[in-house]
Amino acid sequence: MRLEERTYDKADHLRPTGYIWKSLKVTFKVLWRCTKNRPNTVLYPWERLVYPDNYRGRPGIILEKCIGCGKCAKICPNQCIEMIPIEIPELGKVKRPQVNVGRCMMCGNCAEDCPTNAMIVTPEFELATYNRMDMMYDPFKLQYSYKPGYEVNWGFALPSEMKAGGAKIYAKNDPLVHDTIVLEGPKCISCMRCAKVCPTKAIEMVETGELNPKNKKPIKHPKIDDSKCVVCEQCVEVCPKSALSVKEVL
Amino acid sequence: MDTLYTVLYDLSDWVLGLLAYIVDWTRLDFLSGLADWLVSEPVVVVVAVLLQALIYFVTLLLLGLCFIWMERKFLGRFMDRRGTQIGVLGFFQNFADGVKVVLKEHIVPKAADRGLFELAAFGILATSFMLLGCVPLSPQFYIIDVDLALLLGLAIFSFAPFSILVGGWASNNKYTLIGGMRAAAQLIALEIPLLLVVVSVVLMTGSLSFVGIVSWQQEHLWLAFPLFIGMLTFLVAGIGESERVPFDLPEAEAELVEGWQTEYGDVRWGLIMACDYLRAYIMCGLLTMMFLGGWDGPEFIWAEVWYLAKTFIVFFFFVWIRAAMVRIRTDQILMLGWKKLLPLAVVNLLVAVILKTAEVF
Repeated sequence: MRLEERTYDKADHLRPTGYIWKSLKVTFKVLWRCTKNRPNTVLYPWERLVYPDNYRGRPGIILEKCIGCGKCAKICPNQCIEMIPIEIPELGKVKRPQVNVGRCMMCGNCAEDCPTNAMIVTPEFELATYNRMDMMYDPFKLQYSYKPGYEVNWGFALPSEMKAGGAKIYAKNDPLVHDTIVLEGPKCISCMRCAKVCPTKAIEMVETGELNPKNKKPIKHPKIDDSKCVVCEQCVEVCPKSALSVKEVL
Repeated sequence: MDTLYTVLYDLSDWVLGLLAYIVDWTRLDFLSGLADWLVSEPVVVVVAVLLQALIYFVTLLLLGLCFIWMERKFLGRFMDRRGTQIGVLGFFQNFADGVKVVLKEHIVPKAADRGLFELAAFGILATSFMLLGCVPLSPQFYIIDVDLALLLGLAIFSFAPFSILVGGWASNNKYTLIGGMRAAAQLIALEIPLLLVVVSVVLMTGSLSFVGIVSWQQEHLWLAFPLFIGMLTFLVAGIGESERVPFDLPEAEAELVEGWQTEYGDVRWGLIMACDYLRAYIMCGLLTMMFLGGWDGPEFIWAEVWYLAKTFIVFFFFVWIRAAMVRIRTDQILMLGWKKLLPLAVVNLLVAVILKTAEVF
C-alpha cells in the first residue's frame, strides 16, 4: 500500500480522544494505583527483590568434592579461573580453582561443566570491594555452603540415536556415555605422564605383550577406564608425542 | 484592613523610632541630624517597601520550590516510581540540587556573545521575579495592586520569549538558536487566544485589577461556569505560554538537548529552571484568579490558603497533562493556536458579550 493511501483507522493516538482523553485516563490509573499501594521501585539497599532459585550469582565451590580436573578453567569464557596449588591436609599439595570475580560474568559455565558438581552457582551478587586484590577468590574464600539447586545440571541426547529414532536423554555426568580418550599405539613412548596427571586415576599402564627390542623389557601402554574418566583432557595436553586424542561421542 | 504593607510600615516606623531614640540618647554632636532623618517619611517608606519585597520574594520562592517538589513527586507517581527521596517526603531534594548548582563552575562558550549571554539570563530572571509582584495572594498579601495589574502581568509575561531568543542567539549554538526561534513562534501563536480570553473576563467583570475581578466573582459566581470554553482555552494556551509539555518545543530535551538553555550552566541554569516553575505558577495563579474565584471561599481559614489550594489543584492538572501527553510538532502547535484556540476564544468572547448585553449579571 502506498503511503498516501494509508488510513489510520486503529491509530487511536492520532485522534483527540486517544491523544487527550485516553492518555489522561491511563496515567491517572497509574497515579491512583501507586498512591494507594506503592510504586514499582524497589529501594535497593533497604529492600531487595526475591531472587529465583536458579539465580546465577558468583561461582562457589565445595572443596571436598573437587578433584582438580581444571575443566572450569578451560571452559571459562573470560578466563578468570586459574588452577592454583594449595595445601590440603588429607591430600597434600593439589591444584584447585581460583576465581577472579572482578572479571567473572556469572555465566555459570564452570558449574555446568563440573564433572562432580563441586563448582556451584551461588545467589551472591554484591561483590564490590575497595581494591582489586579482594576480588581474587582463592579456593578457600570461594567455598559456599551448599543447598540443593545450586549445582547446574543439564541433559543431552546423542545425534546418532536421534536419527535412528527414540532418543534417550542422558544426564550431564553419565559415567558411560561421554567423549572418550583414544590412544594411537605406535606413537606412545610409555612415559606414564598421563597416568600421573589423571585426577581420577582412570589411566592404568598395562603391558601390551611386546618387548622393547633394546632392553628386552615389556612395553606398557595406558588403558583408560571410561567409567572413571571425566574427559578433562589433561592427559591429552601432557602427552609429549600427541599419542592421545579425544573422540567425540556421537 | 491591615495589608502586608501597612503592617510592615508600622513595624519599620517602630524600629526606626527605636533607633532614633538610641541615637538621641548617645548625645553625640555629629549624629544630631541622623535621628530626624531616620524617622522621616521617605526612609520609613523605603524600609517598609524593601521589607515587603523581601518577604514576598522569599515566600514565593519557597512556593516555587513547593511547585518543583510537587511536580517531581507527582510525576514519579504517574510513572510508577518514587520521585524525590531526600528529607521529609523528598522535599529537601530541591535544596540539595540548589546547593549543587550554586557550587558549579560558570562557563561561557568561547564564541558566545558574552554580554548578551549574561543579559538574557538576567532578563528572564528579572521578568519572572517582576511577575511575582504582579499577582497578589489575597487582598492583604500583595506587593502592588494597580488598576491594570492583569495587563501589566501579561505584558511582562510576554517579554520572556524575547530573552529566550536573545539567549539562544548569544550562545552561538544551533540548538539554542532553534529553541529561541521556536519560543518566538509559539508565543505569537498562543498569545492571541490567551489575550482574547482575558478580554472576555475583563468584559464580564469590568475590571483589570485582580482584586476587582475576584470581588466581582465573589458577588456573582465563579467565571468558570459561564466562560467554561474560555477556561479550557486559557488552560491550553497557558501551558503553551509557560513552555511545558506537551508544548515544550523551545526546550525539547530529546531533540534540542534542553533547547535554548543548552549552554547555560551553574546557578544561572538553576535559577532559569526555577523561573520555569514560577512562570507555571503565574499561569496557574492567573487561571485561579480569573475563573476559579481567586481567594473566594468560606472564611474559616485565610484567604491566601484558598488561593494557593486552588492554584495547586490547577498545577496538578498541568503535571497530569505533562505525564500523559507527548510533545507535538511545531506545525501542529501553530495549527492548534491559529485554527482551534483562536476560534474557541472568539466564541468565548461572544458568549461573554451575549451575557453582558442580555444583562444576565
